Amino acid sequence: MTPRALTRVAVAGLTAAALFGTTACGSGFDDSAGETTQSTGPASLQIMIGSSGDAETKAVQEAAAAWATASGNQATVVPAQDLTQQLGQGLAGGNPPDVFYVDATRFADYASVGALEPYGDQISDTGDFYESLRNTFTYDGKLYCAPKDFSTLALQINTELWSKAGLTDADVPTSWDQLTATSRKIKAKGMVPLVLGDTRDRIGAFFVQNGGWLLNSDGRTATGASPANVAALTYVKELVTEGLVRFPKQLDAGWSGEAFGKGAAVMTIEGNWIKGALQNDFPNVKYQVVELPAGPAGKGTLSFTQCWGIAAKSKYKEQAITFVEAMTSGEQQMAFATAFGVMPSRQSVRDQYTAAFPADKPFIDGAEYAQGPVNAPKMDSVLQDLEAGLQGLANGDPKNILATFDKNAQAALGGN
Amino acid sequence: MATNVLPAAATASGEPDRRRPRGSVRANENIAGWLFVAPVIVILGLFLLLPILMALWVSLTGWNGQGSPFTGKVPFVGTDNYTRLFTDEGLARRDFMTSIRNNLYYVLLVVPTQTVLALGLALVVNNRLLKGKSFFRTAFYFPSVTSSVAISVVFLFLFANSGAVNSLLAMFGISGPQWFADSRGVLHLLLGVVGVDTPPAALTDGGPFGLSWWEWLSGPSVAMTSIIALVIWTTSGTFMLMFLAALQNVPVALEEASTLDGAGRWQRFRHVTLPMIKPTTFLVLTLGLIGSWQVFDQVYVMSQGDPAKTTLTPAYLSYRTAFRDFEYGSGAAISFVLFLIIIVLTLTQRWLMADRDPERSRWGRRRRRRTPEGTAR
Amino acid sequence: MTTLADRPATPTRRGDRGPRTLATRFLGYAVLVFFSLVFLYPFVIQIGNSLKTEPDAATNPLSPIPDPLVLDGFVRIFTGTNFPLWLGNSVLVTVLATAGRVFFCSLAGYALARLRFRGRGGLFAAVIAVMAVPGVVLLIPKFLVLNQLGIYNSYTGLILPLLADAAGVFIMKQFFESIPVSVEEAARIDGAGIFRTYWSVVLPMAKPALITLTILSFQGSWNEFPHSLVSVQDPSLFTLPRGLADLVSGSLGKGTQYPLKLGAALLATIPVAIIFVVFQRHFVRDANEGADKT
Repeated sequence: MTPRALTRVAVAGLTAAALFGTTACGSGFDDSAGETTQSTGPASLQIMIGSSGDAETKAVQEAAAAWATASGNQATVVPAQDLTQQLGQGLAGGNPPDVFYVDATRFADYASVGALEPYGDQISDTGDFYESLRNTFTYDGKLYCAPKDFSTLALQINTELWSKAGLTDADVPTSWDQLTATSRKIKAKGMVPLVLGDTRDRIGAFFVQNGGWLLNSDGRTATGASPANVAALTYVKELVTEGLVRFPKQLDAGWSGEAFGKGAAVMTIEGNWIKGALQNDFPNVKYQVVELPAGPAGKGTLSFTQCWGIAAKSKYKEQAITFVEAMTSGEQQMAFATAFGVMPSRQSVRDQYTAAFPADKPFIDGAEYAQGPVNAPKMDSVLQDLEAGLQGLANGDPKNILATFDKNAQAALGGN
Repeated sequence: MATNVLPAAATASGEPDRRRPRGSVRANENIAGWLFVAPVIVILGLFLLLPILMALWVSLTGWNGQGSPFTGKVPFVGTDNYTRLFTDEGLARRDFMTSIRNNLYYVLLVVPTQTVLALGLALVVNNRLLKGKSFFRTAFYFPSVTSSVAISVVFLFLFANSGAVNSLLAMFGISGPQWFADSRGVLHLLLGVVGVDTPPAALTDGGPFGLSWWEWLSGPSVAMTSIIALVIWTTSGTFMLMFLAALQNVPVALEEASTLDGAGRWQRFRHVTLPMIKPTTFLVLTLGLIGSWQVFDQVYVMSQGDPAKTTLTPAYLSYRTAFRDFEYGSGAAISFVLFLIIIVLTLTQRWLMADRDPERSRWGRRRRRRTPEGTAR
Repeated sequence: MTTLADRPATPTRRGDRGPRTLATRFLGYAVLVFFSLVFLYPFVIQIGNSLKTEPDAATNPLSPIPDPLVLDGFVRIFTGTNFPLWLGNSVLVTVLATAGRVFFCSLAGYALARLRFRGRGGLFAAVIAVMAVPGVVLLIPKFLVLNQLGIYNSYTGLILPLLADAAGVFIMKQFFESIPVSVEEAARIDGAGIFRTYWSVVLPMAKPALITLTILSFQGSWNEFPHSLVSVQDPSLFTLPRGLADLVSGSLGKGTQYPLKLGAALLATIPVAIIFVVFQRHFVRDANEGADKT
């Protein structure tokens, strides 16, 4: 045989052998779309969380350990580096964690491909969850998962730096104009006025304050480049180019809370999770929380929520449900609230919460006028692209950034 | 299987009959030969060849990561995943073309710089006047053997806004950029220096593959340059060793002759040394070219494609598309395009090498000349 | 190199020997020292800063001397992260992968170099072809295969694909071809079987190549990152590079914590550094081996 022919034979042989090998070995993919064999008795639950920081990780670990001891099961809490990606690999590998955080933004993606177990009807007193949260996690008329908690954005002010800059309570900004004026005063003193996350989850609040949002009310049409949004983003860009706003990376921080905690900026816009993080990492920072300054169209903020997803492929669904039940009890939610500053998703503990954390009133008040997250399927990469645009805001054109979003979003939302 | 045939083969050939007919030796060698290569064939076949075939299939489907991709339930989409990268207007093409642009600038900076640096270092280290050659060789080579992830961590620290690089720049009165937050393109910045701040309309209006000419001409972003610095820093040592080996093969007599002719240093380098090490230079260039299309680890650890997608590379994009966005078909398609790019570069290299160096065939036959038995193939 | 400096042994132009040589020398050393700093100082900074407090590391990143010297970073590495687990996994993976690679590659290399069997030429061509397959395009494909075989997220999936590589086969084949065939023939005539000839006659002679391959495999599997990224997702199966990547970009909270990260990266570098220093000349050989394998 000529070497060439030999090569061909060898390659063909290899391929055949390899293909045969795989079919013979069977498939690791779980093809059974429906039922996974359920194991009763002591379960070994894997819980994957996208943690906001050490404070949250510790709190969830403790709660899980307590549940495990009380119920005679095992529970391992895994803080994911990149929840979306790790979950994606787990789901595709047919080996997802049993319980995991599902962000409202990704919820529709998971639910639409059947990755989530719709266990809503097996959780006690679901009517107690805020209605908007229940709606967020309902797909095809079924409540898929129990809302974990929720948060809103507010303005945090470092009180020490505030007085160092010669500012008083009268300077606390309640409107965009005041925000600009106060920031200029701070900048004149050589400090960074405001550290702001360069994501839609922070900058988006300005859209709402100007009466805009990325999608229209039924979530089917992209409205990114509306005049209200463009004006809001232009305002943010002005703050950035004037040096009144800095992004966290520019201050050597992974997120705004870190920069704020280090005293690298006088103000920041973050959610209630910042409380736990500051308590844990920067316990000496003195700060106060106020509502976000109102825009031309009035007050506006963003709300965020996640739910406890249970994998459709979990072997321990029953035990997982009891776990979620325990995690979403009013008592446990209060414990989480104390540990890392989220707000309970159950209305029944609302008063208890406001009584325990009067300083958090601005966050709770924000719930009244907050805009929920974008939660349509296939939107993640579109939103990622918007993030990229926002990261380049200092040199970008607000109108272009938003128009690009509209184009991509409309393609993703399709004809519906 | 291997366990029961191998001893049999061993005993068969172990027979003390020395005048055994040659045919049986051949038969034994046939079996033993295949047995010896079997483990490697199985592993490489299973984890190299088969994956490529499976990914080719997946790249033609719309598999979303649920269940097996090898059932009838998975939608077959033909070449849709590929056309979305090249012809269809949309986010997929924009992202892909952005990653291609980023990688092109990366290649343009990394390959020439590392080659020149490696050659320069090799020339100095090889200088017979200088002592401590092995120390310096070790020092320059050491970064190449360390883990890419560990080194990325170090560089993240070096290039932090208040990190070592910026402190160093501050010593010279330069206020350094905010490396990993800075999405501005270097070419745009340079144009800004000469007064071109807003792009001419001709460049923003249109351009190939969904990016405007202005975007194509951005240059690597400031964030990308720090990754470029890291890569040059880690790979130069390896290439320096290759040059060093080549330089040591340059006959001393030849150089002395040229010195006698009164040739200056530069002329000697240009007309004697450089031609002698041409094959190595060529090799270094192409290896660099191939390697720099594969940049992944550094991007994953240091920037994850941020800021503003300016450190997105095709390799990282394919990973992200598949594992973050669940678009496995699209991710696999990107892999294949990348695969093609690299294969074309590799084949070009082999072809050119064979062409330039006819007496040395493609697979290092040079060594074979040294072997006592010609080992006919 | 003589291209930059006149060799004193060449007494051609007596005039420029003295001062010019001196100048060349000075310049040469200046260049060497400068680049040694460029290539080694980052490691010095790494060591220094891993022993600093966080504020100290943030304010004096360039200084190699910690003030005050604290071990907090290292304490946290061992108490606050899964570092010991990653280390254990890395050792396991590296040892098995190295052993497998050396054994299988030398077996195959020997067969391709010495045994006359049908299909040898084609196989060798296939090995060469496979060497050209770039690792990063295999990320998704490998994940698919591991999944299909049901070994995703297991030690098997983590280790098995690392047990052979084409470059190793190539190196061994090249080496075996350079060994005189007469020794083997003598052994064969004495009645030794093929495997025994390989195992007890040829292999001992191949020591230099085996050492090279061992080092190459050790370094390769110790530093391997993309494969562990797509073959496992359970944190208890993470190897050092994977754990380190995890540590840098996330689960630790979003703080910078540079002393800790630098310390962890340092610990991950030490084994390779030791091997490098001890077997330096073999590393040099590797690079030149690379030069030949085009």
